[in-house]
Amino acid sequence: MISLCGMGWINKEEYICALKGETVSFKESSSFDGLSRRGIFSCPFKNFGRLDEVSKLVCYAVALALKDAGESYAGDLKKDMGLVGTNADGPLQSDIDYFRDYIESGRKLSRGNLFLYTLPSSPFGEAAIHFGLQGPVFYMSSGQALLPGVLKTASEMLMLGETRSVLAGMNTKDEALYMVLAKDPAAQQQVLCDIPEALTVVEKGGSLREMAEEFSKTKKGKGIK
Amino acid sequence: MRAVAVSSEMVTPYGRGTAACWDNIFDGRTAISPVNRFDTGAFQSGYAGTVKGLKYHQGDSLVMQMLSLLFDNPGVIPVDAGLIVATTKGEIDLLEEEVLSGRKGMPGNGQAAFLEKVRLLAGVSSAGTIISAACSSAAVAIARAAAMIRSGRSECVLVVACDSVTEFVFSGFSSLMALEKFAAMPFDKNRSGLSLGEAAAFVLLMSEYRARKENREVLGEILGWGVADDANHMTGPSRLSEGLILAIGKALSSAGVSESDVGFISAHGTGTVYNDSMEIRAFNAVFRDKRPVYSIKGGIGHTMAAAGLVELIIVMKALREGKVPPTVNLREPDSDAVGWVSRFSRPLQGNTVALMTNAGFGGINSALMLA
Repeated sequence: MISLCGMGWINKEEYICALKGETVSFKESSSFDGLSRRGIFSCPFKNFGRLDEVSKLVCYAVALALKDAGESYAGDLKKDMGLVGTNADGPLQSDIDYFRDYIESGRKLSRGNLFLYTLPSSPFGEAAIHFGLQGPVFYMSSGQALLPGVLKTASEMLMLGETRSVLAGMNTKDEALYMVLAKDPAAQQQVLCDIPEALTVVEKGGSLREMAEEFSKTKKGKGIK
Repeated sequence: MRAVAVSSEMVTPYGRGTAACWDNIFDGRTAISPVNRFDTGAFQSGYAGTVKGLKYHQGDSLVMQMLSLLFDNPGVIPVDAGLIVATTKGEIDLLEEEVLSGRKGMPGNGQAAFLEKVRLLAGVSSAGTIISAACSSAAVAIARAAAMIRSGRSECVLVVACDSVTEFVFSGFSSLMALEKFAAMPFDKNRSGLSLGEAAAFVLLMSEYRARKENREVLGEILGWGVADDANHMTGPSRLSEGLILAIGKALSSAGVSESDVGFISAHGTGTVYNDSMEIRAFNAVFRDKRPVYSIKGGIGHTMAAAGLVELIIVMKALREGKVPPTVNLREPDSDAVGWVSRFSRPLQGNTVALMTNAGFGGINSALMLA
C-alpha cells in the first residue's frame, strides 16, 4: 500500500507540517530569502541565495515534507528517494530573466548561472543535491498544474519498485506543497493517509494552502497525536 | 503487461526518416555544420546539427515545423493513445521573438498551448503531459509510458520528443563552456565538448496484447528502465559515476536480465571530457567484459530532449538488423574507451538485449533495457 508519510506546505507568511500538526507564522517576511535562516533546513544550504525563486520554494517545501516524515537528510547522506514536481508555467520567469540579460549585454555575454534555471527540472536537481536524493528526479506538467497526475505517477513508480520513496508536489508563484510517499511503510511509521484519500484531497482543487489544511484535518481525524 | 514499440519516425539533421539517419551513421557522415540561423561570433563554436529548410522566427516554432513532418500517416496513431511530450525548451523561439520585439506581454501558459498543438497534430484525444528531465527527458518519458502499460493504467501511449537549436539554447551552452569548436568527437582522446543538434521523433508504445489484437508489427520492446540522480552537481557528472551505475542496475533488475545478456550499449556520448569518461567508468563498474559501445552525437549533435528517442529508434533498428552502429567522428578512442568504442560497425552476436544510457544537467541519469 502506498502511503503519505509527511507533507510540507509554505508561502510567504507561514508554513505547515501536516503530520506534526505544526503551523508556523512569519508574517514579517516579505520574501522567502530570510527563511533559510529560520531553521527550515536541518543543515546549512550551500549557495542557497544563488538559487532562482522556484528552486528556493521547492527546496523549502521539500525540507518541510522530509521533516514532517521524520526523514533526516544531508548532501553526503545519499538515499533512494525520488522527486517529481509540477507547476503551471515551467521556468517562464527564468527564461525571461536569462534572455533579457543576454540581449541587454548586446548578445555578447550569456550567463551560465541564469541559463541553468531555464530547465524545468533544475529546481529538482538542486533539491537532489542538498537532500541527497538518488532516486528518479523529473518535472511533469499538463500545462495546467497536474498534482493528481504527479501523485498517480509517483504512486506507480513505487508500485513498480523503481525507488524506495518519492517526494511529489507542486509550486505556484507564491506557495509550494510537497509530500513524502512510500510503499508499505514500517509498522511504527506514522502516516497521514493512503493514496486514494490523498487523491480525494488534491482532486478537490483549491489552493495548495487549502489542500495542506485538508491534510492536517486528515491527521486529526485519525487521532494521531 | 509487456510494452512494445509498434510505430516510430524521426526528423534529424540528416533529414526526414529513420533510414536517412541510419544510412548516414553507417556511412560515417556528420551532419554538424556551420550555423547560419543566428550570429555565433560571440560563442565557443559556430557549429551545430540543424534540420534543413526550417524557418526561424517566421511563424511556427522550429519544433512544430519538425513535428509537422512526422504525423502525415493517418490511422497509425490511435485516437485513444495517451500522450507524453519530452522537451527541455519547447517553443522557446516564440519567447525569443517576444523579448526581441520588446513586447510587454509574455506568452502565458506556453506549455499548455504547445501540448495542445502536439495533441491536435498527432490526432489523439488525451490532453497529454510534458516530461522534462534535461537531456534524459526522452528516456524518462519512454520509461513513464512503459510504466503506464506495465501497470495496466494504459494500453497505448504515444511518446513525442523534440528540441531545437535556437540562439537562447546555443548561447546558454556556450556560457557553460560545453561546446566543441567544430563537430563533437564522442569518446575521442582529443574531444573537448559537445555539438548541439535538433530533432523531433515519436514512438508509439502498446501493450503486447493490443499490438497483437491490432496486428501491429513489433519494432522492439521496452524491457526495463532505471532513473537515478547523482545528487552531486548541477552540471558536472559524478566523478564516481554513481548515478549512472544505480540507473543501470535498476534497469537490469526491471528487465529481469543480467549484465551478461547485454549485447551492446547506445551511450549518451556527448563528446565532453567528463560525460564520456563518466559513462566508461560506469560501464567498467557494471560489466565484467567490454562490449560494443557507440554514440550517434558525432553525427547529429546533442539533440537534448530528443536524443533519447532518436537513439531508441536506432537501437531497435540495430537489434533488428543485427549490427551495431559506428561512432561517427571518432578518430582515436581515449585510453579508457579502447575496446568499447569503434569507428566501424560491428556485427551483433546472437539474440541479445541492448542498453541505452543518457545523462543530463541536475545529475539525472537514465538507463533503458531494449529488445
